[in-house]
Amino acid sequence: MLAVQTIADGLVLGGLYALAAVGFSLIFGVLGVVNLSHGAIVMMGAYLTWFVWHTTGLDPLLAIPPVMLVLFAFGYVYQRGLIQLAVDRSSLLASMLVTFGVALMLRNLLVLVFSPDFKSITPGYAFNYLRLGEVTIDLVRISALAASLALLGALAWVLNRTRIGRVIRATAQQELAARLCGVNARHVYGMTFGVSAAFAGASGAILGIVLPFAPPDEANWTLNAFVVVVLGGVGSPSGALLGGLVLGLISTATSQLIGPAFPNAMMFLILVLMLMVRPAGLLGNAFAASR
Amino acid sequence: MLAEALARHRWWIALTLLGIAAAAVVPFVLMPFHVRVGQMILLSTGLGLAWTLLGGFAGYWSFGHTAFIGLGAFAAGLFEVNALGTEFMRTDPLLGFALGLLAGMAACAVAAALVAWPILRLRGIYFAVAMLGVAQVLSELTNSIEAFQGSLGLVLPRIPAFGLRTEAVFYYLLLIAAVIILAIAFLVKNARIGQGLAAMREDEDTARMLGVPTERYKITMFVLSAALTGALGVIYAHSLGYITTGSVYRTDFSLNMIVYNLLGGIGTLVGPLIGAAIMVLLTQVVLGSFLNLHMFLTGAMLVALVVAAPKGIMGGLAGTWQSWRRRRTAAP
Repeated sequence: MLAVQTIADGLVLGGLYALAAVGFSLIFGVLGVVNLSHGAIVMMGAYLTWFVWHTTGLDPLLAIPPVMLVLFAFGYVYQRGLIQLAVDRSSLLASMLVTFGVALMLRNLLVLVFSPDFKSITPGYAFNYLRLGEVTIDLVRISALAASLALLGALAWVLNRTRIGRVIRATAQQELAARLCGVNARHVYGMTFGVSAAFAGASGAILGIVLPFAPPDEANWTLNAFVVVVLGGVGSPSGALLGGLVLGLISTATSQLIGPAFPNAMMFLILVLMLMVRPAGLLGNAFAASR
Repeated sequence: MLAEALARHRWWIALTLLGIAAAAVVPFVLMPFHVRVGQMILLSTGLGLAWTLLGGFAGYWSFGHTAFIGLGAFAAGLFEVNALGTEFMRTDPLLGFALGLLAGMAACAVAAALVAWPILRLRGIYFAVAMLGVAQVLSELTNSIEAFQGSLGLVLPRIPAFGLRTEAVFYYLLLIAAVIILAIAFLVKNARIGQGLAAMREDEDTARMLGVPTERYKITMFVLSAALTGALGVIYAHSLGYITTGSVYRTDFSLNMIVYNLLGGIGTLVGPLIGAAIMVLLTQVVLGSFLNLHMFLTGAMLVALVVAAPKGIMGGLAGTWQSWRRRRTAAP
């Protein structure tokens, strides 16, 4: 029964990883930028949700839409104002440095504003749980998994079925051709970054009700996102979902079987193995550039 | 090749020797606080140079070089405390410190050699992120495996002072280390391997096609860079006296090593010194009273730098100098 419980926990965590990584994957796929401040944006989402919940008592899941809206605006301005400037003036590697710098700034700001202590969001139903056979899952975790899946589904719908989604995919495939068809590529890049930041914020909100969090966690969330993308492949919600679930299972199984100190080491081992053996990711697209 | 390089750079070498002589008298004339600032500049210069051996020369930007500061510090500390023992360290502290230094460097070299084969096959951003991962994993393991005492902290044995004040001792140790690393970097840059690395930085596939043993060169530089960074880590750890995971595995170290090079001019030998001096003076002296904003300021500095001066001070100066010369020769 322990195994089933581990799998259930792994799936919940995996849904969260997938949601946290999907924005990173989108930016990587469309702009080619590795956004090292992605984890910091996830933490911003968590802290914003915590702040809303703490001051108004609003249910954290209901706080997700306004948090996403705020972070969308942040992401758009961040890309148009800074990332694009860095890409234009030097290189993609330099733009990665810029995001590294911004990650440090955001982490520092979060520490200053919210203190370096761990925070957690505990809505009224935090201690209710559901029992299926001998597996117990907290209600929080179920709602977290459901919210993650719903949001991933929504993003997949936006990307595949709406006009803006089509434009984003077109720009990712061929920037020049898209521009010749009348697409304002810079605006699309900004929008993509905004969408990415919004989903990072949503994952932050959900992570806040599942786990306690502190500003330095941002590095872990960036690395997680990278591992998820390497596992699942670039640029698609389904790839992120697959990578996230695999990572969640690996991570819970590792802490269960080997020890709570090792999930990250194991994750890293798998990252390196993947990059060496199958750099295209499990679903197989677009990692050819890694060597 | 070397003799010719020495002759060609004789003015720089003379200037460097003069600089070293000037740096050597600093502890006798300046206040202890300023000696500490000097210490920071020397440490930062050394770190920048050690990073540039791989990052600047070969174009492999490591985003996680603090892995080797932490690994060196903990390897040396654990070796001195557990393998040598307090008794040995009390009777012969100098030999103990030397052995600890070797142990720290060896640990870094071995670790680098182990991870080199898989992760040096990655390029560009993939290598950078993989190094970020190495640093993160090492720091977590140090923190959570009890034998490493990362979360509890490790008290390092004191090293002899030779009648000098403590800060002066570490100042000289760091000066010696920085000069040795500078000499190594000079030798590498002006040797056959340096040419090979430059070729790799421009275009690795072409270099390989032309017969440059790229694999061997980059692994050599990675191991060398790791061992030297580790040596600085050991000295830094002893200057702190008491280390925890958080005090030696510091993300801002990783970032700063890149910043010094970017600010000064990447791939040059004076670049790290200029970058380190400016950054340390700025953050420690000018902005010394905003300690809780350090990370923010470092990040902001980096962002401003990439956007405003992507080639660094030396790069910018070289560009201006060349265009000035071109204009002069073009003028009738």
